[in-house]
Amino acid sequence: MKSLQRYLKTIWVIFRKDIRIEWYGRQGIPVMLVFSLLIVFLFNFALQLSPNLQSGLTAGLLWVSLAFASTLGLNRSISLERETRALDGLLLAPADRSAIFFGKSLSNFCFTTLVALVLVPVFSLLYQQSLFHPRLILAILLGVGAYTSLGTLLAAMSIQARTRDVLLPVLLYPLALPILIAAEEASRGVLSGQTLGELRAWFLLLLACDILFNAAGLMFFETVLEE
Amino acid sequence: MSLHKKPRLLIALDILSLVGVLAALVVVLFFTPVEAIMGPVQKVFYFHVASAWAGMLSFLIAAGAGIGYLTSRKLKWDWLSLSAVEVGVVFGAVAILSGMIWARPVWNTWWVWDPRLTTTAIMELIYGAYFILRSGLNTPETRARLGAVYAIISAATVPLTFFSIRLFRTIHPVVIAASSGTGTFNMSPRMLVAFFASLAVFTLLLADLVWNRFYLAQLNAENQQEMI
Repeated sequence: MKSLQRYLKTIWVIFRKDIRIEWYGRQGIPVMLVFSLLIVFLFNFALQLSPNLQSGLTAGLLWVSLAFASTLGLNRSISLERETRALDGLLLAPADRSAIFFGKSLSNFCFTTLVALVLVPVFSLLYQQSLFHPRLILAILLGVGAYTSLGTLLAAMSIQARTRDVLLPVLLYPLALPILIAAEEASRGVLSGQTLGELRAWFLLLLACDILFNAAGLMFFETVLEE
Repeated sequence: MSLHKKPRLLIALDILSLVGVLAALVVVLFFTPVEAIMGPVQKVFYFHVASAWAGMLSFLIAAGAGIGYLTSRKLKWDWLSLSAVEVGVVFGAVAILSGMIWARPVWNTWWVWDPRLTTTAIMELIYGAYFILRSGLNTPETRARLGAVYAIISAATVPLTFFSIRLFRTIHPVVIAASSGTGTFNMSPRMLVAFFASLAVFTLLLADLVWNRFYLAQLNAENQQEMI
């Protein structure tokens, strides 16, 4: 019981540290936000989108911009530790390394979710379609959760390579494909008025991704960071 | 120079798989019936399915060898993992290209966004990234450690990717089970023989190629040790 408490405390401390850095520095979320909006505008012209989008396109656009923007945050979350060799300090700390994983992936999850929560009203404005559905929020939470867990693990790998942050998208996007497909399809279904029962397969798939990638972090984060 | 000699068994396997591939080619070209509707192009099917199978199998081997490395920390496992991925990528490419050759006359298109095609293409990209990851890492131990983790995660996501794309509709023929889709056919006994012969031969070829690549990695390691 005591060890579990300690474990949770470690997660919390790491998480709080990341939130504090973001709060005082404000260098992660604003960049992600501006970047995600830029993507929306780029796609708008590239695909000649009309203001009344079909729900399929809205959901797709939402997830593409979220996925791209999230990569910036994921890269930053680890390179921040690397820059000042803070990572060495973290690794020296007498704490379970998978707790470090959960702490960092939790903070990444919060940052990307925050970006998503800004994008939802912006999309509702730009594409004349209300995106305020509790079920859409559920899809976002599940999708972002799986995506940032996988991303945190892969970022810890890519940071060790000479190519560093350039490498993360190449590793992340193909592996994240099932998450993105399921999240996009679940969102599309919600926006076109399907019920939770009709979309059960997609939500279950998202849940499976959440479990799989968090388990992967739990098992492999320590191995990835050992030197 | 006291480099490791090529194992006799490997040489025997070389010869065996060469003969096997030639024999399978003869069987496919001359002993199988020409499919009624699709014509001779259907014969691509035998090697196409066999190389897709060999590709999948080698990625599984890579993941298994990854587990082997992480539990034993012996670099030999990493050589096996790397060899399997390299050979698997080649088989995957053969599967995609031969499929395209078949699809052009039968589906009237080189490419459709079908679960199997898309999953195979994504698989190639995933394992392409595997090489990029390795090439950026400095020590053999880091390459082995991260390569193993990546190979295991990749093998775990491939079924998820397939399943997620499968929830869309598919037109890829399902020859083995009860079937639907454009270009479907049932196999005659001779076709079945050729099919299973191709599968067996390609599995043999896979073993041979992976072993050869493994042997190369072994030589490479020995060579580097001698230089030091």
